[in-house]
Amino acid sequence: MKRKSITLLMAICLCIGGQTGCGKEAENVQTAPDVQTQEETGVINTVFNGELEHNVTIQVLENDTAVSKGYFASLIEAFNEKYAEYGIVAVDANMNQYLDLANDGPYGYGPDVLYQANDIIMQYAEGKHIYPLPVETMECFDQIPETAWAAYQIQLGETAYTCGVPVNVQAPMLYYRKDLLPEDWEQVWDENGNKIPDMAENWNAMYAYSVSRHEEDGSKYGYMKSLFDVYFSSGFLFTYGGYVFGNNNTDPSDIGFSAGEAEKGAWVLSQLASAMNEECIDDSITTNAYSKLADGTYFATITTPDMYSTFLDEMISAYEEEGLSEADASAKAQENLVMTTLPKLPESGDLTEEGNFLDAKSMGGINGYAISAYTKYPNACLAFVEFATSYEMMVNRSALLGVAPARNDAAETAGGTSQLLYDNLEAGNIVLMPSIKEVSQIWTPGETFFTDLAKDAFRSEGEKKYTDLEAMKKGLEAVDQQIYDAIFTLK
Amino acid sequence: MKEKWNKFTSAVCDSSWKVKLSAVVMGGGQLLYGSYFKGIIYFLLEIGIIIYMILRGVEDIRGFFTLGTQKGDAWLGIVGDNSVIMLLMGIFAWVVVAAFLYLYQLNIKDAYQMQKAFEAGKRPLSFKEELAQLLDKKFYITVLTLPVLGVCVFNILPIVFMILIAFTNYGGDIVPPELVDWVGIANFEKLITLSQFAPTFFKILGWNLLWAVVSTVLNYFLGLGLALLLDKECVKGKALWRAFPILAYAIPGFITLLAFKFMFSYGGPINQIITASGHLAVGFLDLDAKWMARGIGVLVNCWISVPSIMLLATGHLSNRDMSLYEASRIDGAGRWKQFQKLTMPFMLFATTPVLLSQFIGNFNNFGIFYFLRGGLYVDGYFLASDTDLLINWLYNLSIDNNYYCIGAAISLVIFMITSFISLIIYVKSPSYREEDTFQ
Amino acid sequence: MRSKINVGKILDTTITYLILLAVAFVFFFPCLWLILASFSRSGSIYSFDGFFPAQYSTASFVKLFTDTTMYNYPKWFMNTLLIAAGSCALGTFLTILTAYTMSRFQFTMRKPMMKTTMVLGMFPSFMGMTVVYLLMTQFGLINHLGGLILIYASGAPMGYLTQKGFFDTIPRSIDEAAKIDGATNFQIFTKINLPLSKPIIVYTALTSFTWPWSDFILPKLLLKEKNLYTVAVGLMSLDETEFARFAAGSVFIAVPIVILYFCLVKNMVNGISEGAVKG
Repeated sequence: MKRKSITLLMAICLCIGGQTGCGKEAENVQTAPDVQTQEETGVINTVFNGELEHNVTIQVLENDTAVSKGYFASLIEAFNEKYAEYGIVAVDANMNQYLDLANDGPYGYGPDVLYQANDIIMQYAEGKHIYPLPVETMECFDQIPETAWAAYQIQLGETAYTCGVPVNVQAPMLYYRKDLLPEDWEQVWDENGNKIPDMAENWNAMYAYSVSRHEEDGSKYGYMKSLFDVYFSSGFLFTYGGYVFGNNNTDPSDIGFSAGEAEKGAWVLSQLASAMNEECIDDSITTNAYSKLADGTYFATITTPDMYSTFLDEMISAYEEEGLSEADASAKAQENLVMTTLPKLPESGDLTEEGNFLDAKSMGGINGYAISAYTKYPNACLAFVEFATSYEMMVNRSALLGVAPARNDAAETAGGTSQLLYDNLEAGNIVLMPSIKEVSQIWTPGETFFTDLAKDAFRSEGEKKYTDLEAMKKGLEAVDQQIYDAIFTLK
Repeated sequence: MKEKWNKFTSAVCDSSWKVKLSAVVMGGGQLLYGSYFKGIIYFLLEIGIIIYMILRGVEDIRGFFTLGTQKGDAWLGIVGDNSVIMLLMGIFAWVVVAAFLYLYQLNIKDAYQMQKAFEAGKRPLSFKEELAQLLDKKFYITVLTLPVLGVCVFNILPIVFMILIAFTNYGGDIVPPELVDWVGIANFEKLITLSQFAPTFFKILGWNLLWAVVSTVLNYFLGLGLALLLDKECVKGKALWRAFPILAYAIPGFITLLAFKFMFSYGGPINQIITASGHLAVGFLDLDAKWMARGIGVLVNCWISVPSIMLLATGHLSNRDMSLYEASRIDGAGRWKQFQKLTMPFMLFATTPVLLSQFIGNFNNFGIFYFLRGGLYVDGYFLASDTDLLINWLYNLSIDNNYYCIGAAISLVIFMITSFISLIIYVKSPSYREEDTFQ
Repeated sequence: MRSKINVGKILDTTITYLILLAVAFVFFFPCLWLILASFSRSGSIYSFDGFFPAQYSTASFVKLFTDTTMYNYPKWFMNTLLIAAGSCALGTFLTILTAYTMSRFQFTMRKPMMKTTMVLGMFPSFMGMTVVYLLMTQFGLINHLGGLILIYASGAPMGYLTQKGFFDTIPRSIDEAAKIDGATNFQIFTKINLPLSKPIIVYTALTSFTWPWSDFILPKLLLKEKNLYTVAVGLMSLDETEFARFAAGSVFIAVPIVILYFCLVKNMVNGISEGAVKG
C-alpha cells in the first residue's frame, strides 16, 4: 500500500509548497464603521503625505499611440532626469493598454500609474482600486475645467473624491479632404462667406454634397461612416434630447436613447445612410475609412482625434504613389486633410429643408492619469502625475499625438481643433461616457438598432421598417427596453 | 451490508495490539512489524497533516463557512478577506481532510494485512518489492498519479469551485474586496423567473441541437471521407495533399474566424467581386441573414474542424487489419460494402468518444458565432440573436454583466442536462461496453 | 493485368484527383488570401484589386521581425514556441500513458474514471477561468511561461479517450505473447506497444502542440507583461490599422506547425498494417 501513500505525499507537498506564497491572513484591526468614515476623509493626507519615496521604480501604463509615437519615451526620460536625485525611476509597465486593474491589482500585477478613459477609471474608483488624489494642491487644478474634473469625481458618504487627473479630451471629429471639394466651393458651398465650406458647418450641406458626388461618379461617395458604431451614432440622438442614463448618467434604471425627440437624430442618420453604400451596415467603413479617404473614394468621415496621424500617414503614402516626393507629399497631406468639430444639425431633423441649426452633441470621454491603490510608492506616483500634466508636457503631447489637451493654457497654445474641442467640452456639447459599469450593456442593443436603421436604407420599398418618425421612436424605445432587461433581469 | 459490518467487527476483535497502535499513531503497526520505510512515511504524513491543520487548515475551513468577515479597503490600507480565495483554500482544506481520512483507513488496513501475513507465517513484501510492483502489476498507479493530480487541480477543482459559486452571491457589485456570502438556492430560484423568457430558451435550444447534430455529422464524415480518399492507393504525393488541410489547421481558430468574418462582410472580397460584376451586395452575416448566417457558421466550423478529424482518422485507418479487407475482396465485396461492414464499425468503435466530445464541443461552441456575428439582439429573442447558441446566451445574460453566481447556476443546469444525455450514450456505446471487440 | 487498360480505374483516379483539387482549393483559398494580404504593400486590406493586392512588398515581414519597440513579434514567437514545445512533450507523454493504462489495465476505479472524464469535458470551460486565474495567483505563476505549460500539460490527459480508442484496437494477443516470454508491463509498453502506436502519438503531439500554439484565452489571462505574450495574444493587441502586419504574423504562425507536420508525417501511416504481428 505504500505506493498510494507516495502519491498522496506528492500531492500534499505540491499543494502546500504552492500555497506558501500566500501568507496573508485576516490579522487586520477591526475598525468600527463610524471611525472608518473619519479615517476616509483623511485618506488623502495619510497616503499622500508629501514625503517622496527614494530609490524606487514606478511602473507607468500609457496608451499604445503615446508609446508608438515616441511621446512616452520622452516623457519618462524627462521625468527620470528631474527626479534622478531622489532615485525615482519611471518605466513603461509594458502591459496591455486595456488591462483590468480590478482583476490584477489586488494580486500585485498591475501598474502604479495608469492612463485610461474616465469611465474605466471611475469603475475602478467604485471598488477603491485607485487612490483619491489631492487635486486642489496640484498645479494643473485651475487650468482644467470643472466639467472635466467632474468626470473623475465619486461621492462616498458625505465627501466627494477626485480620483484622476484629466489629460485630454476625446470626442468624434469630422475629417475631410480640402482637395476633394468642388472647384467652385467658395462661391457655391460657402453661403456665409467665412472661408469654411458649408459641408463642415452643417449636415444639410454635407448630405447634399454626398448625394451630388455619388451621382456624378458612382464609385465615389461623400460622407461615409459605419452607422452601427454606437459611440459615434449616439451623438445624433443626444442633440435632439436623448441621453444614456438619467440623473447625469448615474441612474441605470432610467435609459434615455428614445428621450426627447431623439428619433429625429435617427432620421438624420437614416438620410445620411441613404447616400452611402451597403458598407455602412457592418463595420467595413470603420476599418477602410483610412485608405478610402486617402485614395479619394470618400470625401469625409468621423472618428476620434487620436486617429489623425493614421489618416495623415495614409494620405502621404497615397500622394507618394502619385509621384510626389516625401516632403511634398507630407506638406500636401497636411494642407488637405482637415480635422474639425462636427457640423450643426437641422432643428427639424430634415436634411433637405432649410431652417434653424442646432449645435451637434457627441459622446466623448476624457482620458487621464490615475494612481493604483496597490502601489507602494504613492508620493512618487503623484510626482509623476504632476510632472506629466504640466503645461510643457501637455503641449508636447498634443503636438506629437494630435490630441486635445484638457488644460486650458495648453489648449490655447495648441490652438486649432484642440481649442475648439476644449470649448465644446466647456459648452457641454460633449456628453461624457457614463462612469458606471452598467454602460457595458448599451452597446449590443444600440448596435443592433443602428445596423437595422442602416440596412433599412437598402431594403426595398415594401420591406422598410423605419418609414416615419414614429417607427424610429418605437425602435429606440425597444433599445431602451433591451438595455434595461440586460441590466436588470438577473440583478 | 450486514456482512461487511460483521467482517469489520470481527477484524476489530481479531486485530493485534500492533494494529491498534496504527489506529492511534499512523505507521506504528508497520514499524513494529518491521516495515520501517512504510511506517516512517505514514508517520511523517500524519505529522505533516497535523501541522498543516494547526497552521492554517482549521482557519481555512472556518473561512469556507464564513467567506470572510473583514472587508478590505485599499484606501485605508486594510488588506481584508478575499472571499473567493478563502473559498478556494477552504476547498483545499476539505481535500486534505478527505485525504487524511483515506490514508488513515489505508494505514489500518495495511497493518491488519501485515498481521494476517505474519499469522500465516509469510514474510510481508519488502519496500523494494513493493516499489518493483509499481513497474509491473501496479504499473497503472505509477502512470496515473501525475495525470490524475493535474486533472484534479486544473479541471476538477475549478468545476467544484464553480458549482459552489452557484450557491453564493458572487458577482455584479459583490466582487472582492466586497465580501461574498452563501445564499443557498436563491440563484436557482432566480432562474425560474427566467421562465418568462422560455420562448427564447426553446428557440435557442432547438437551433443549438440542430447545429450540434449537423456540424458533428458533417465534420465527422467529411473528415473521415477525406482520410479515406487520401488513403487510396492511386493517390500520389499523399503528404503534400494532406498539407492543405494541415495549413488550415495550423492557423489559430480566432484568426480564421476573424478572416472569414471579414471575407463575408460588405466591404470584403466576396462582396467586392459581387458588386464589381454588377450585382447588389449580399449581407451574408447581417441582421436579416438568419439561415444564411447559420449556414456560413456550419461551413466555417467545418473548415476549422475537418482537418483535425482527418488527422485522427488517418491515424486510426492505418491500424486496420488489412487481412480482413483482402478476405472480403475475395468474397466479392465491393468498396461500398467494405466501407459499410468493415471501415464504419471499426471507426465508430474507435472514435465514439471523439464523436461525443465533438458533439459537446459543438454544442458549447462559444467562439464561432461570437466572432462571426456577435453584437446583435434580434427581434423575437430575449437578448440574443438567431445564431446564438445557449452558451452565447448564457454569456450575454450573466458573464457580460459579471453575474458569476447566476452564470454558474445556469451552466450547472446545462451541464447536468448535457452530461446526463452524453453519459447514457457513452455507456451504451460499443467503445465502452465491448472494449475488446477488436483485440 | 498490366496490359489491360482498366477504364474504371482511370475514371476513379480522375475523380479522386478532382475531389482532391477541390478540397485543396477550399482549404488553401482563405490561406492564400491571408498570404497575399501579408505581402500587400499598403498596410490596409482595402487597397486590393479584387482578390490581389495592388502592390507587393515584403515590408510587413521585415517590419514584423525588426520593428520590436511596440510589438515584439520575435520574442512572442519564441515564447509561444517554448510553451508549445514544453506542453507538447509533457502533454503527449502523459496522454499516451494515461490512454494506454486505461486501455490495458483492469482496476476498480477504471470505469468510474472513464465516466468522470467523459462528463468533465462538458462543463463550459470559460466558467472555470476565474478559478484558474485565482489558483495561479496563489501559486505565484502569473507572468510565468512555466505556469502555462503546467496547465496545458495537466489538461491534456483529459482527452485521453481518443487515444484509448486507438489502443483498444491493438490486439491484446501481442501483449500476452510477450508476457509469456517474461516481459514486465513496463517493457511491454515501451518495447511493443509504443512502436505500434506511432500514428496516434503523432496525432497527439500535433494536437497538443497546436492547442497552446493557437490558444488565446489562457495566455491572455495569465501573461500580463507584453514581453511574455504569446503570438495569439500579441496579434490581437495589434492596432486595427496594422492589417498587413497582422496577416504576416498570422501566416508565420502556421509555419512551425506545417514544419512539424512534415517532420512527423512519415510516422503517420505505418501502423499495424505493416507491423510484425498480425491477429
